[in-house]
Amino acid sequence: MALIEINQLMFSYPLATKPTLKNISLEIEAGEFVVLCGTSGCGKSTLLKHLKRELTPHGQTSGTIHFNGVALQDLPQREAASQIGYVLQKPELQIVTDKVWHELSFGLENLGYDSMTIRRRVAEMASFFGIQTWFRKNTTDLSGGQKQLLNLASIMVMQPQLLILDEPTSQLDPIAASEFIATLQKLNKELGLTIVLVEHRLEEVYPIADRVIILDAGEIIANDTPIKAATRLRHVDAHHPMLLGLPTPLRVHHALKQSDETPLTIRDGRTWLEKHYEKDHKQIQEAEPSGEVVLDVQDLWFRYDRHAEDLIRGLNFQLHQGEFLSIVGGNGTGKSTTLGLITGLLKPHRGKVTIFNKLLKKYAKKELYQGMISMLPQDPTTLLVEKEVQLELAMMSKDQTAIDRVINLLQIRHLLAQHPYDLSGGEQQKVALGKVLLKNPKILVLDEPTKGLDGESKQVLARILHDLQSQGTSILMVTHDVEFSAEHATSCAMFFDGEIVAKGTPAAFYSGNHFYTTATNRMCRQLFEDVVTTEQLIARCQSQQEVMTHV
Amino acid sequence: MKSLHDFHPLVIFSYFFAVIGLTMFYMHPILLIISFTGATVTSFLLLKKSFLKSIKWLLPFMLVAAILNPLLIHEGETAILYINEQPITVEAIVYGFAASVMLIAIIFWFSAFNAVMTSDKFLYLFTKISPAVALLISLTMRLVPLFGHQIKKIMYAQRAIGMDPSSGSVWHRIKAGTRILSILISWALESAIETADSMKARGYGLKGRSTFSLFRFDRLDGFALSGIFILFIIQLLCSYFGWNEFYYYPTFSPIVWNGPMIFMTISYGILVSLPIFIEVLEAFKWRSLKSIN
Repeated sequence: MALIEINQLMFSYPLATKPTLKNISLEIEAGEFVVLCGTSGCGKSTLLKHLKRELTPHGQTSGTIHFNGVALQDLPQREAASQIGYVLQKPELQIVTDKVWHELSFGLENLGYDSMTIRRRVAEMASFFGIQTWFRKNTTDLSGGQKQLLNLASIMVMQPQLLILDEPTSQLDPIAASEFIATLQKLNKELGLTIVLVEHRLEEVYPIADRVIILDAGEIIANDTPIKAATRLRHVDAHHPMLLGLPTPLRVHHALKQSDETPLTIRDGRTWLEKHYEKDHKQIQEAEPSGEVVLDVQDLWFRYDRHAEDLIRGLNFQLHQGEFLSIVGGNGTGKSTTLGLITGLLKPHRGKVTIFNKLLKKYAKKELYQGMISMLPQDPTTLLVEKEVQLELAMMSKDQTAIDRVINLLQIRHLLAQHPYDLSGGEQQKVALGKVLLKNPKILVLDEPTKGLDGESKQVLARILHDLQSQGTSILMVTHDVEFSAEHATSCAMFFDGEIVAKGTPAAFYSGNHFYTTATNRMCRQLFEDVVTTEQLIARCQSQQEVMTHV
Repeated sequence: MKSLHDFHPLVIFSYFFAVIGLTMFYMHPILLIISFTGATVTSFLLLKKSFLKSIKWLLPFMLVAAILNPLLIHEGETAILYINEQPITVEAIVYGFAASVMLIAIIFWFSAFNAVMTSDKFLYLFTKISPAVALLISLTMRLVPLFGHQIKKIMYAQRAIGMDPSSGSVWHRIKAGTRILSILISWALESAIETADSMKARGYGLKGRSTFSLFRFDRLDGFALSGIFILFIIQLLCSYFGWNEFYYYPTFSPIVWNGPMIFMTISYGILVSLPIFIEVLEAFKWRSLKSIN
């Protein structure tokens, strides 16, 4: 008997014209690690919520879901709460109480366990997750990764049989995300926990999954081992947007139309590449930024408090007209602070920022933010205030042609009448970007714009940024997304310990790094040193194939 | 041995309840001086630097109270001078001084109480009275910094598009300010849904919720609590017999060192100096441990 049995599940939201889930039938065995994926709006979150009775949305449902042979709606409340654990997307919003230890015990208190049992289970879990060092801390003082780990641990104390996670790493930086995924793997391997995970960052979870289920417009289009599911997806639609989200080795293998066994991990990808292709010493030609300097940062020093340590230490860099500079680097190295400094939100205690040959502090605020520099914040909802998208745009500018231009650029005409909070994360971001663009900035500053976006939304964002760039806008982006930065930026810089330690064109920059580089580069560096993006790798391999067929 | 911080919240609460309560009712100069000394030393031991800072404004306050009382109250037999034909009496001066000593002793006791009774200890005690309210407080304590953080993020984002509530015309500031609040409110309502989901997913709302805490009541807590209880009852009995009575008006009642008076003074002294005793012993203990290791 399978742990979960879904039979002919149909679901539509009230007032919706099309069903969100159509004829879903699937089984999940105990101990399986299942990854559920699909583009945004394909119904994957809705499907997950059907597995957790307390969160099942209202609407028209038909079909059955059985948990351990019992229909889900007949499961006793206490069992339903404890046996099925659910971790949501945003780490800070799931935390309920103010102390770490209280958060851990919260679920057990709800179930009415006595103090001795709670003490023991909490102790056990805190040790398993390595929480003991911050056990007595306030939950506000934790980092994003710690918060999400705490959420997972406070579910695990209830000893669930099934763990459901809805994009748990989308708000985390790459290092915290890999740690989180590693913890999931440990739970699956060591405790035999059944895991159903929705993710769009598949690079790391894809190889460790037992099974991959791909959803498209509410239907299951693939339900198989990772490799077979990917092949199936390609057969269904060779240009399916989901293909963009697959791990690099898989994508390269697909694109080169090889017929042998598909590599899943970077290690396998390396071996596979070496088997089929030869080393060459070509060098990708890249143009150095050459336009006029629009932003000049000289010897900047900053600290938040007189007695605190300096966070920015002698920062120097320049941004040229039409340049797209992306800054990568770990958490807490001062990247976001730098954005605050160059947009005039924070004041340095030494050094100067020059924008268009005029000192930043000499600008009147109105002059600076109207047409000089604008920032798209990490969280788009901090900009959204109106009831409808069109009102959001109308409040930024009275010029209807300008608004129309932005609407066309962002392709958001179909969203105009909607409430901003009803949009998906990617759509919200587009609207927020639209608001920022209506200020006609010559310098656009972006703080982690790809956080929480799926592969397709990232492509759309990249296209918009390219358009802006070709119109002469200079772009400065801070990001954790190494892949996005390598593919789309014109120059990249590494931030560490309050300053920029390396800067260069993408291929030169990333091929010079050993760890902080793209998956593609890690996979092919022994053959093609300069290749950093998947497209470059595919092109290089194809050129070798052509040469061979000619010979 | 443990330091004052490590005692069970119930012990800490009962102690300060007893001491502050007694201090409020005792106007007897000897008892006042005992409580005042105890409060000063205790809060110095617990607060160190910040205590020394607070003295700066408390001393002038004491003097003002001592001067103000005789200007308003003209009772008492021993007049030292007349202002506008109204006598300024020694009794009134001493009474004003005594009252301000009492007030400051209470302030010191409270600041020591604040230092020891951290929010989680307080919450724990509250849980015993009303678990629902205690949980509500815990949730709120989580929300306050969360909102603070979010409002800062919103403010930054708004400032970078030219909506700065800290500059510009009054109208502009009001507009920018209300906009930030409005964004915060929609965000709070949206995010509350997710938090509620997380609570529901973990079985909140099931019948028979229990409460858990990290505090344990051990033997030493038992000793301390019964000691405090006995000493407090002794004081209540002494007061019942009127041994603590002292009159400032029309003139001071005499202080007679008879049996009951000595007994009351000593037992009150022990109660008041408990924290000092605990802290000092603890310091010595660590010192001797250090010299061994």
